Amino acid sequence: MLCGVKICFPSYQISKQSESSGCGNKPFHTSSKRTGSKFTRFAGYGLVRKGNRDYNNPACRSGLTHKESRVEPIVVTENLWKLYHAGKVEVPALRGVNFRVLPGEFVTVMGPSGCGKSSLLYVIGGLAQASRGKVLVDGNDLVTMNDSERTKLRRHKIGFVFQRFNLLPTLDARGNIAIAQHIYGDGFDPHRFEVVTKLLGLTERLRHRPSEMSGGEQQRVAIARAIINEPKIILADEPTGNLDTQNSEIVLSMLRQLNKELGQTIVMITHNPEAAEYSDRAVHMRDGVIVDGIPAD
Amino acid sequence: MIWQLIVNNVMRRPVRTVVSIIAVGVEVALVILIVGLTSGLLQETAKRIEGIGADIMLQPPSASVFLAFSGAPMPIKIADRLRELKYVQAVAPVLLQFSSSGGVDVIYGIDPKSFREVSGGFVFLEGHDMEGPDDILVDDWAAKAKNVTVGGTFRLLDHDFHVAGIVEHGKGARLFVPIATLQDLSGSRDKASVFFIKNTRPEHTQAVIDEMKPIFPGYEIRPLKDFLSLMSATNLPGLNAFIDSMIALAVAIGFLVILLSMYTTVIERTRDIGILKSIGASKAYIMRALLGESILICVIGVGVGIFISYVARMMFLSSFPTLSILISPDWIVRAAVIALSGGLLGASYPAWLASRKDALESLSYD
Repeated sequence: MLCGVKICFPSYQISKQSESSGCGNKPFHTSSKRTGSKFTRFAGYGLVRKGNRDYNNPACRSGLTHKESRVEPIVVTENLWKLYHAGKVEVPALRGVNFRVLPGEFVTVMGPSGCGKSSLLYVIGGLAQASRGKVLVDGNDLVTMNDSERTKLRRHKIGFVFQRFNLLPTLDARGNIAIAQHIYGDGFDPHRFEVVTKLLGLTERLRHRPSEMSGGEQQRVAIARAIINEPKIILADEPTGNLDTQNSEIVLSMLRQLNKELGQTIVMITHNPEAAEYSDRAVHMRDGVIVDGIPAD
Repeated sequence: MIWQLIVNNVMRRPVRTVVSIIAVGVEVALVILIVGLTSGLLQETAKRIEGIGADIMLQPPSASVFLAFSGAPMPIKIADRLRELKYVQAVAPVLLQFSSSGGVDVIYGIDPKSFREVSGGFVFLEGHDMEGPDDILVDDWAAKAKNVTVGGTFRLLDHDFHVAGIVEHGKGARLFVPIATLQDLSGSRDKASVFFIKNTRPEHTQAVIDEMKPIFPGYEIRPLKDFLSLMSATNLPGLNAFIDSMIALAVAIGFLVILLSMYTTVIERTRDIGILKSIGASKAYIMRALLGESILICVIGVGVGIFISYVARMMFLSSFPTLSILISPDWIVRAAVIALSGGLLGASYPAWLASRKDALESLSYD
């Protein structure tokens, strides 16, 4: 159940700034089938008209107009390459990806299996090291960072939501959320914990272990864990991939709500075009490159 | 929070955890019991020798403080020479014979009269003093252990002795036979292993020793008030090496079990490690979580080990009343430190391995 509690996230402040920056961030009502009636979206975040692009501008190649690109992006990749090694053979997963995400944006990355969308997400999240190019997350260049620095960045600025939920099986829901706070280093904040768990409708399920929860509940715990430390970005890797339709809708609505009400920046990978409709814009990938950036609606 | 994770992880595989705890417990118990057995025996022996009540002990040159290792190279006539010294009140020659038939025993061959003069005499619980050449006195602990009764026969050194009396323990040995009989049985006619000397007053001990030294150059002349401190593992050749070897063996058991247990834990929990890394857990955090598990297992193992030690001591003493096992707080602490160090060392490599795991590969692990 969504309770719609308002929390003052830093990212919310960013989105408010974006609104007044004159970069085309005027609110407009989307015509999205799912979101149109519920959510007011910010037009500046990647709703692109193809005829208005400058393909020499990385911002535009990633689906942004000149006007929109004046807002400082929170994620920037330029000519990003990621090579995997299969024996002596180099297998490129990303082949010069240029991608930008503005603060407060909800972006979906779509594409067929093996197109490199997960690799892109993991490189942005610092779970994988880029082979070449530039990756800036909130101004931090991940390419020059070592594993410890990337871990620290992840701890403070990124929240992950995975397809397989990835909850710690030995901890209950409360422990799974609280451990992120503990790792963050500020200790347990009961007020924030209460707000987040209430927001995600988990209050009654906190003493249950992952094995005792439904997929939807597990994913909501994962979302709570991802947002408990107020990260700058949430990276969601097929968050509805293991869920039925009803739970998928709940999870996507929650992500949408987090984005809309709290200004949370979200990058989500999905195969599902319906899931993409919850986002501000969708980016398509094929063979390790972004092939377009089309509005979700 | 990290302790909640640690405790829950330890509880996740109860059988593996219990096996690890038992291994650490056995390690701790081995250390405590081996040291307790050796130090207990040494201390109990020392107390018994002190209990003779002599002031000085004379042994042949280079003789060990451990009387059981002494031969019988001294002529018994030395006793007469000692009696001539100023301040010497009584001298008791004793022939020692080590016997391993029916248990490990040190037999004292004594002259009842001189031994009584030095020691003040036995306290008889049953029976009477030695009267014939085949009489034997047995102390109460040995009597209980060997089911000996007064009037019965006690076979020792291929000789049947008649149990004349059961005496209170604490007068040197547990078995006493006439010195002449023991000399015959051991082929040491007119020989003694040690002379116990009683002075007219204890304060004269140093004066007597000073007088003895030029007469018996090279001989071991020891005041018995220092005997307890001399009866330590460091003075018994090879004992320290034995104790160290047994401790090393115990530590190796604990180390290997913890290493194996934590290694399988890390393999099994690869995905969890990936999850922790994905939410920003540092290498140090992951190492701390795994080492914490090892510490928890070791702490419980130490408690179990101490419990096993006391139970084992109780069982040993009920089966072998002549044994003495000294469980000292000092060695309990040392055993705990040894177990914790071994456990930490054993968990270090798996923990390091876990901290180095690639987050992405770990997340893909099934």
